[in-house]
Amino acid sequence: MAALLIAPAAGLIAIVALLPIAATVWEALHGHDLRLPWLGRPFVGLGNFVEAAGDPRFVEAVLHTVLFAVVSVPIEIALGLALALVMHRALRGRGAIRVAALLPWTVPTVVAALIWRFMFEAYSTTAFDWFVHPLAAWVPIIAADVWKTTPFVAILMLAGLQTIDPALDEAARIDGAGPLRRFVTITLPLLGPALVVATAFRALDALRLFDLVYVMTGGGPGTATEPLSLYAFVVLMQRLRFGYGAALSITVFLLTFAFALIWIRTIGRSLTSDHA
Amino acid sequence: MRISAALIVVAVSLVACRASDPRPVLSFSGSSLGPEAAVVRQQLDRFADRHPDVRVELRVTPDAADQRHQLYVQWLNARSSAPDVLQLDVVWTAEFAAAGWILQLDRFAPDVTDFVPAALQASRWRGALYALPWFVDVGLLYWRTDLLRSAPASVTALEQAARQSITGGQTPFGLVWTGARYEGLVTVFVEYLAAAGGGILSDDGRVIVDEAAAVAALSRMREEVGPDGIVPISALNWREEEVRLAFQNGQAVFMRNWPYAWSLLQDPTRSRVAGRVATAPFPGLESHEPAAALGGAQLAVNAHSSQPQLAFALAEFLTAPEQMLERARLAAQLPARLSLYEDGTLEQVLPIPIPPVRQALNAAIPRPVTPVYSELSEILQVSLHRSLTGQQPPADALAEAAANIRALLKRSGLGTETGTR
Repeated sequence: MAALLIAPAAGLIAIVALLPIAATVWEALHGHDLRLPWLGRPFVGLGNFVEAAGDPRFVEAVLHTVLFAVVSVPIEIALGLALALVMHRALRGRGAIRVAALLPWTVPTVVAALIWRFMFEAYSTTAFDWFVHPLAAWVPIIAADVWKTTPFVAILMLAGLQTIDPALDEAARIDGAGPLRRFVTITLPLLGPALVVATAFRALDALRLFDLVYVMTGGGPGTATEPLSLYAFVVLMQRLRFGYGAALSITVFLLTFAFALIWIRTIGRSLTSDHA
Repeated sequence: MRISAALIVVAVSLVACRASDPRPVLSFSGSSLGPEAAVVRQQLDRFADRHPDVRVELRVTPDAADQRHQLYVQWLNARSSAPDVLQLDVVWTAEFAAAGWILQLDRFAPDVTDFVPAALQASRWRGALYALPWFVDVGLLYWRTDLLRSAPASVTALEQAARQSITGGQTPFGLVWTGARYEGLVTVFVEYLAAAGGGILSDDGRVIVDEAAAVAALSRMREEVGPDGIVPISALNWREEEVRLAFQNGQAVFMRNWPYAWSLLQDPTRSRVAGRVATAPFPGLESHEPAAALGGAQLAVNAHSSQPQLAFALAEFLTAPEQMLERARLAAQLPARLSLYEDGTLEQVLPIPIPPVRQALNAAIPRPVTPVYSELSEILQVSLHRSLTGQQPPADALAEAAANIRALLKRSGLGTETGTR
């Protein structure tokens, strides 16, 4: 009886969530190139994944994606926390400050990317161009990402700050603890759960990086700023290699999934269990 | 209530009207934006007048080449019988022919002697004809008549004149070309490459893009864009329009671009160089002849068309001299028939001076005619851009590109020889 009642919901989840993933996995096990129809659609097992492992552009794309996450997420968390502390303290004009701080988050990513591209293009000279230099081209991308997503982190942090009992802070102050000491020993530990959640959200987004790069650099110069999602897009939509593209999409999925699993299992558990 | 009833009546009568028209439909698909759409509609109507037993339909497709290509691949892969006639970019014909998506046209025995040779070459795959050239596009050198007395005879002379202009403070840049990582970069490279006596694929299909002539061509481009070069570094992000704007604002002595730029440059309200511009074929390197990249479109017949005979008649009608001339007049696109350049009528129809265009067409070379061109081009775009932005020396970048292209040809089952299919 119970199984019967669950069946419609379970069926729906299977159709909406599992079926597309299963279809992608199945496609990834085949050689399928729309441009070369005479090759047919042979089963190649893990051939596409083996090809990816030996594809320098794929390996570089994985590195780009991970490096982008490692650099941009800590900056966003630090700035978001600082912004939240300011918003938490503000006594007058609270509403106005929050709206102002949140504004970048409401701008669509594509628009934000264009704005930042134009700004950096304007600061290029005849001798130096941000988007032509393989390392410098990352600066506008990371700047735009930090600008856009810091407010999101700040809101999560602000919610965390508001759950902290002000009496704790007051007691510490009476005992003679300075502002830094109170922040390190009271605020930061109690913010643990909020920090874990914010980092998880941001890191998962960063690992799927696509639209900012697509608009700002297209992955260039050469492929110096190409993340994994963009490479998968190029293989799927431009080269029309569906089998190999599906395999790359699955690696994006596995990468984010592995991160989420490890993050929640290790850091998430240790931080949240302290206060349980 | 009354309005919706009226709407239903209209809808029903429209459906009835469609259903009551028993004539078979002949569909055409191609660019349908602005003046191009007007010309195509006009010509399709004229064709329909001559063939009252069919209904001729225009299928609107996206104007962006990549998107249209994607749509065509979806339709043809599904063996759809429509559209009957397709507008193909010059570099797609081999791909569609090898896939068996378009009909071999030799059975209709068309007269092809008048077509631009390079365009005709791009219409053939393994010796058979698969498309009719419709209009052409060709790379041109634009130069400033107020700064120079004549067009440079070689790339070396061009570079000298450009340097003089920069050091003399007349223009901030010498030469501008499309250096962004996209198809336009490949067309520029193809010109330097041919001008240096090299190529991407040899006539027998071998990959030769890592040979000495290719390294020389890419090294030349890199020097031009390097420190103390004549091409601004930002050109490595530029496409046709950014290049045109820089030249139009008087920032460069030379520009490599397509014929479309001519009338825009001559508009005195927008252009600072109006009346002070001339065109010529892009010069050769050292002792070699000049070369010009060929663009443009061709018409092909769907292999699954239910009325191939009629579809071919439409393609033949649209590529006839009078239709090409009308297209030139209304949409400013260059005809793909050489005879139209000879008798002087084209001068009255197009604003751009015809003799330099004719010269460039004589020097025109198609990009590699291979079914895997799109992917081959993407490999080259990445390697060329890596080298031009200083991430890899030219020889290394081209060696890597050549290795990737060889792997691509191997994977495609095409091999290096001709005639496997």
